[in-house]
Amino acid sequence: MNIKEIQVPSFLRRAFNGRNAAISIPYLWLLLLFLFPFVIVLKISLAQPVIAMPPYTPLFSWGDSLWPKIQAGLDSYLFLFSDSLYIKAYLSSIKIATISTVLTLIIGYAIAYSIARAPTRWRGILLMLVILPFWTSFLIRVYAWIGILKTEGLLNLALMTLGIIEKPLIIMNTDLAVYIGIVYSYLPFMILPLYANLEKMDMNLLEAAADLGCRPFKTFWNVTIPLSLPGILAGCFLVFIPVIGEFVIPDLLGGTKTLMIGKVLWGEFFYNRDWPVASAVAIIMLLLLVVPIIFYQKSQEKAIS
Amino acid sequence: MTETTTTEPWLDSNQKPYIQIVNVTKKFGDFTAIDNLSLDIYKNEFFSLLGPSGCGKTTLLRMLAGFERFTEGRVLVDGEDISEIPPHLRPINMMFQSYALFPHLTVEKNIAFGLKQDKLPDNVINQRVEEMLELVELTDFAKRKPGQLSGGQSQRVALARSLAKQPKLLLLDEPLGALDKRLREQTQFELMDIQEKLEVTFVIVTHDQEEAMTVSSRIGVMDSGKLIQVATPTQIYEAPINREVADFIGDVNIFKGIYKGQDEKGTQLLSEDSKSIIYATQKVDVPVGNRIWFALRPEKLEITRKLPEVDCNILKGKIEDIGYGGSFSTYHVKLKNGRQLTAIRANRERTAEHHLTWGDEVYLHWAPHSAVVLLS
Repeated sequence: MNIKEIQVPSFLRRAFNGRNAAISIPYLWLLLLFLFPFVIVLKISLAQPVIAMPPYTPLFSWGDSLWPKIQAGLDSYLFLFSDSLYIKAYLSSIKIATISTVLTLIIGYAIAYSIARAPTRWRGILLMLVILPFWTSFLIRVYAWIGILKTEGLLNLALMTLGIIEKPLIIMNTDLAVYIGIVYSYLPFMILPLYANLEKMDMNLLEAAADLGCRPFKTFWNVTIPLSLPGILAGCFLVFIPVIGEFVIPDLLGGTKTLMIGKVLWGEFFYNRDWPVASAVAIIMLLLLVVPIIFYQKSQEKAIS
Repeated sequence: MTETTTTEPWLDSNQKPYIQIVNVTKKFGDFTAIDNLSLDIYKNEFFSLLGPSGCGKTTLLRMLAGFERFTEGRVLVDGEDISEIPPHLRPINMMFQSYALFPHLTVEKNIAFGLKQDKLPDNVINQRVEEMLELVELTDFAKRKPGQLSGGQSQRVALARSLAKQPKLLLLDEPLGALDKRLREQTQFELMDIQEKLEVTFVIVTHDQEEAMTVSSRIGVMDSGKLIQVATPTQIYEAPINREVADFIGDVNIFKGIYKGQDEKGTQLLSEDSKSIIYATQKVDVPVGNRIWFALRPEKLEITRKLPEVDCNILKGKIEDIGYGGSFSTYHVKLKNGRQLTAIRANRERTAEHHLTWGDEVYLHWAPHSAVVLLS
């Protein structure tokens, strides 16, 4: 019994071998759960809002003719650029994402570095502590910050009891609260890639630097930082990209003045019920993110090769 | 090697040692890695620390570099106590076993790294880097990153980088360990040339006894954190102080027996193997009846089919195994009591007439002055 005796066309054999089947799974996943919804959103963004179910005009309408009439226009996109609110929201999102990425990097680097340099038997436990908050719902953790940051919250109570301040600090519903929330929530995404990088760093390189006359701080600057660049990039992108579209944190912790594109998007969908504009906002946001994503991909390829 | 044997500063009491390791002890918890070790190394020496893994040789090297603090004792370089000086301020450079080249820097920037720390002017740095690149013949590779180099090239970059600062002492941790045999042998001679040219004191750690014997002015044989013997390669090989050293360096046949006194042929040993008296010229100062040992290198054992015309040191046996090594052959000869001895004979004839083969009855003999008498 030789399986090869059964005549199967070679192109079919090639198409359905195990390797291709394995590779096709992620592609199928992306096709169904990313590309397909994306096309729907793109389609909606080209439509007109109407008061109906669903609240936008269909792309194809048949009417009497044999050929379908295509109804598509860039009205929603033009609208985005006519009202300065949207551009301001995009810029403000980029600003908030940039500042919070830098803050997360500084804090995350310090934590990742100290874990990576801790005695081996401690590292697993410390890393566990970094991941532990994930066991609680993200939403609940952000709500918890309200309890800490509000005027009569834990922080103000503690500071006033200790006599450090006399009047409570106004943190809640400001940009500062948003930064605190973002840095706290996204810190693990910064720590994990940095730790993975710093932990496998060859300690001989640091000794070599010292041996060649480099002071410890300069060694950190001249050797450790450049060598951890792949980890820094990975962490920054993992924080920056989702923060751009962040909705929950600015909505719960931020004030009315905190402008982020995620909040605008939510407003268009649920308050204005203008699905075409909301979709256009989402598409533009995606295009904005393509730039850092491509950079991220490039840096990952470089790190692998 | 000839000039190092003609100038032997360790024999001259007027010479001042350049590196002085004084009663150094290093403990890791309960484990004593270095045990009250003292050693003097002289200027321009090529000193090898040789020993099995875990003997403390690398720990000693790392203490000289400053990466490990010692529990007790002190180290002086050129008369200056460096015990408390941190690694980045020591006039000592190290070449790492893994080379530890900075992967993000080019070859020339790797070599310039140490010079930059000294804040030397750019033109001085560039000139020195160029000299170093020339020295290790890597001028064409200056702009490459370490990832684009072969093992031999990386090794030379590491050497150039550690020599660029013109250290008073260069430490080399298994510098040739990662190279293949042919390249290693070639590099040994390059290392010796460079050491002579630059007049830097080298301390090298190795577990490869052939390497140590080829390159060194002196060898320190270490075991369990102690120096067992410090001597020239020739002395270590021809006059080991005990069975451990004799056994660690090269192959050796050890004869166990009882000291029976001296006569005109030399020291008498009643061998446990042959139950007869065998001789060595070297005299000993122990009571008759003590247990002593003779050590005989395989190349000093003559192997013949005819009974040799000598009056002592003849053993009879049968060839068990032959290892053909091209330039020489190794014979394993079994004595009547089952004891196996090793003899090496140079293959001086292309087609040997007196060809020895498996199962041949042969005689082994040696000149009394070829044997070393060991007391422990």
